[in-house]
Amino acid sequence: MSACDVVVIGGGLSGLVAAAAAAERDKKVVLIAKGVGAIAVGSGSIDVLGYEAGGKPVARPLAEMGKLPSNHPYARAGKQATAKAFEFFLDLCEKGGFPYSGSADVARWVPTAIGTLKPTCFLPRSMDPAPLEAAKAAVVVGFRGLKDYYPELIIRGLMQVPAYPKRFRTVIVDPEMAGRDVNALDIARWLDTESGRHACIEQMLTGIAPGNVVLVPPVLGTVPNYGVLEEFEKATTCKFIEITGMPPAITGLRLYDLLVSEIKKRGVRIVEHATVTRAVVDNGRCTAVVTHGVDRERTHPARSFILATGGFYSGGLEAGVGSAREPVFGLPVKVPESQSDWSNAFLLSGGAQPFARFGLDVDARLRPTDGSGKAVFENVYAVGRTLSGFDDAFEKSGNGVAVVTGYRAGTLVA
Amino acid sequence: MDSVTVVVIGGGATGTGILRDLSMRGVKTLLIERGDLASDASGRFHGLLHSGARYAVTDPRSAKECIEENAILRRIGKHCVEKTEGFFVRLEGDGEDYEGQWVAGCAAARIHAKRVDLKEARRLEPHLSRRAVSVFRVPDSAIDGFRLCWQNVASARRYGGEVRTYTEATGIERAGDRVVGVTVCDTLTGAVDSIGCDHVVNAAGSWVGRVASWAGIEVDVKPDRGVLIAFNHRFTNRVINRLRPPANGDIFVPHGPITVLGTTSSPVASADDNVPHVEEVLELLHNGTELFEDLPKYRILRAYAGARPLYSPGEGRAASRDFTILDHSTDGLRGLTSAAGGKLTSYRLMAEKTADVVCRELGVKAACRTAAEPMVEDPPRRLVTRARPFFPPYGLDLAASRLGAAFGPVVQGLQMHPEERRLICECEMVTLAEVESAAREPTTFNLGDIRRRTRMGMGTCQGAFCSLRAVGALVSHDLVADKDGKALIRDFLETRWKGIRPVLWGDQIREAEFQREVYAATLNLDGTAQR
Repeated sequence: MSACDVVVIGGGLSGLVAAAAAAERDKKVVLIAKGVGAIAVGSGSIDVLGYEAGGKPVARPLAEMGKLPSNHPYARAGKQATAKAFEFFLDLCEKGGFPYSGSADVARWVPTAIGTLKPTCFLPRSMDPAPLEAAKAAVVVGFRGLKDYYPELIIRGLMQVPAYPKRFRTVIVDPEMAGRDVNALDIARWLDTESGRHACIEQMLTGIAPGNVVLVPPVLGTVPNYGVLEEFEKATTCKFIEITGMPPAITGLRLYDLLVSEIKKRGVRIVEHATVTRAVVDNGRCTAVVTHGVDRERTHPARSFILATGGFYSGGLEAGVGSAREPVFGLPVKVPESQSDWSNAFLLSGGAQPFARFGLDVDARLRPTDGSGKAVFENVYAVGRTLSGFDDAFEKSGNGVAVVTGYRAGTLVA
Repeated sequence: MDSVTVVVIGGGATGTGILRDLSMRGVKTLLIERGDLASDASGRFHGLLHSGARYAVTDPRSAKECIEENAILRRIGKHCVEKTEGFFVRLEGDGEDYEGQWVAGCAAARIHAKRVDLKEARRLEPHLSRRAVSVFRVPDSAIDGFRLCWQNVASARRYGGEVRTYTEATGIERAGDRVVGVTVCDTLTGAVDSIGCDHVVNAAGSWVGRVASWAGIEVDVKPDRGVLIAFNHRFTNRVINRLRPPANGDIFVPHGPITVLGTTSSPVASADDNVPHVEEVLELLHNGTELFEDLPKYRILRAYAGARPLYSPGEGRAASRDFTILDHSTDGLRGLTSAAGGKLTSYRLMAEKTADVVCRELGVKAACRTAAEPMVEDPPRRLVTRARPFFPPYGLDLAASRLGAAFGPVVQGLQMHPEERRLICECEMVTLAEVESAAREPTTFNLGDIRRRTRMGMGTCQGAFCSLRAVGALVSHDLVADKDGKALIRDFLETRWKGIRPVLWGDQIREAEFQREVYAATLNLDGTAQR
């Protein structure tokens, strides 16, 4: 096997962006992926920084970053790289034919499947909430049998939002999947078909009128383009907004498909369904990683390695009683000795969870460090949720940190 | 002000058993419970229907009671009981003398304990420790405490018995030396009310002393805390007991797809604290690993804690698990009876003895019939056949038995409306039709109530998927008109979290991170301030 410049371990958002950024600099990149990572759990919107440590909403995320502690991944990546990372991301989406809009300067609030609003920054056009803010009334479309999406629950929540309309009505579309369990992916695949789209439009037209603002679950096709959205808008002359909801997140999977096709275009080789089981190290450098795939062990030598394996959910971190570890390189993960100090008394406690901030400490070049602050390997970089020092779920910063640190690592690798 | 003949305070096994017993004897009875039925000790134990063998050496009287009641409950409560049988296992290093005493004790209590060949024991329970040296078979069983309480109530209702949950007794009203009523408070609205009656039965479990104190009477019930761990899979088909003097962490009980390990024993000042601590969980795991060597690798669902109500001299496990019925006319107050001590396996007998005392005072001649009549009827065969296409094979019997009288209407709904068939809870295989049926019960106020009736949210994901779905479905059907859907989801996740927090490692921490990615990161349920 021929050696490459960079091996990226992990196929979630941070790994994909890192691979894209390295490839952009003409590096020869291999991306090793076990699965799609947490990108199918999140909504595909790029949340940057929604809440400050005390729980107050952040109106200007980019400006707020200056106040973050020095061990926060944004602070590690630096202001300049942060701004460039978002530009790079927007450019990737634009080139891939699925443009995102927004800015890290201003928070935008999008409706969710439980009728709350969530702060974010960058969105695909199909999730842009602006039309809702301008409307006097809105329609919520539901799908018969879709078990993770309940128009009445959404309406009950959104009615409380001062800037939103006070009049909502519901239209239920029957995808004729009765008798079996239906999720958003089933509906999205139905709308990938011409007959599905026609049937859906026909049924919606019985309840919506030209000019309406229409909220839908994230089901407007599985493909990263605005084909279904535009067809719906044209046929109904309504504005459609996709709402964020439960996994599987179709909007997240679209972003995944988009990024995979963009990095392939840039020559990145993707090794799928492979788990990195160990690293080969020599004198403070990593020389190769070893994967265990469906068939046999393979060795992947490279000059640099980017660790984008995620947190506990994705398997990038593992916890035992009173201890945690990073399984590929065996890098140190600091945790409180007493298990009782790992978490707050409430799951949604209005503050950061200690365990959510567990991860790898890194230096200014995103290289994991030992207890003394020195890089463990000169050519290993860590990105995304694997990093310590931030609670993405509380801050609403997960995808933002993934994009920024992924980009930064992609530009640092030799 | 309402008026009944008897008010029973406490909605655990004992209280619901007394309600059933008195109702069957024709006494107009109302049960009040400050939370949901079975929300304390009757739903917070290992779910073991004792054969009595555990008490064979230390507490022969309890042992004898257990085996008699065990036989009765398997008959009248067969829908709450899974007839698993049990093993008593002596490991290398456990005293041989105790085994001899135990065999003799079982014989004296007429508990059928039969030695099992070691090879056969390993064939039947392959995960059991290789260090086992003696194995005996006893008629232990698994029992669902939630269902037991509900089925007692279902039976009582057929005889006119009534229940008010989320109704806390706050005082006992008296006129001279007679009880004339109970002051109550609606714990959801705070509304205060008074219920007139001729007799009050104090069946408040660990809180018996508190209730008696309102009448100026001292009853010294000591709560004794027990912590348990629920594992994500069924790694034993039988109840497994360690054959040694009773100690912490030496009972395993299989329940449907999961296994429960218990318990610890420590005296506590108040039974209200039911949050388990990490240290208690680690002790259980340490001890349990001796019986199942791979235990540390098994995925945990959650830990939970309850309190045994001990009423006798002695501390903790050394105290007798016997019960005592206190007729307080000896204390100078007529019309108050306390049922103190006891344990779930003998709850029916305890209810019978209590009802005997009450009936004697009321002059009611009818005899107890609770041991003769099943709590719920079997669903008609034809109905089960009709239901078969709509339930997963494993879920059908579970649903039929947990729904009882509601099974017919639910099957009807599933037949007529295909979308009612969707699984709200995939872990425990609970359909929308069942969730709605539980939600329509007048005693349902939150997702926890639905959980205890249906098992929704008790499986692997611990509410990650089903809480949104359940609330969404309830809001759509206008079943929670006056409630905030977000608060319902949040409360549900937080009660689950109490049990996950002390076991936050391994796959449990993965699940917790996932839950937060969904409910905090994506749905912003935690954002205290929104725009």
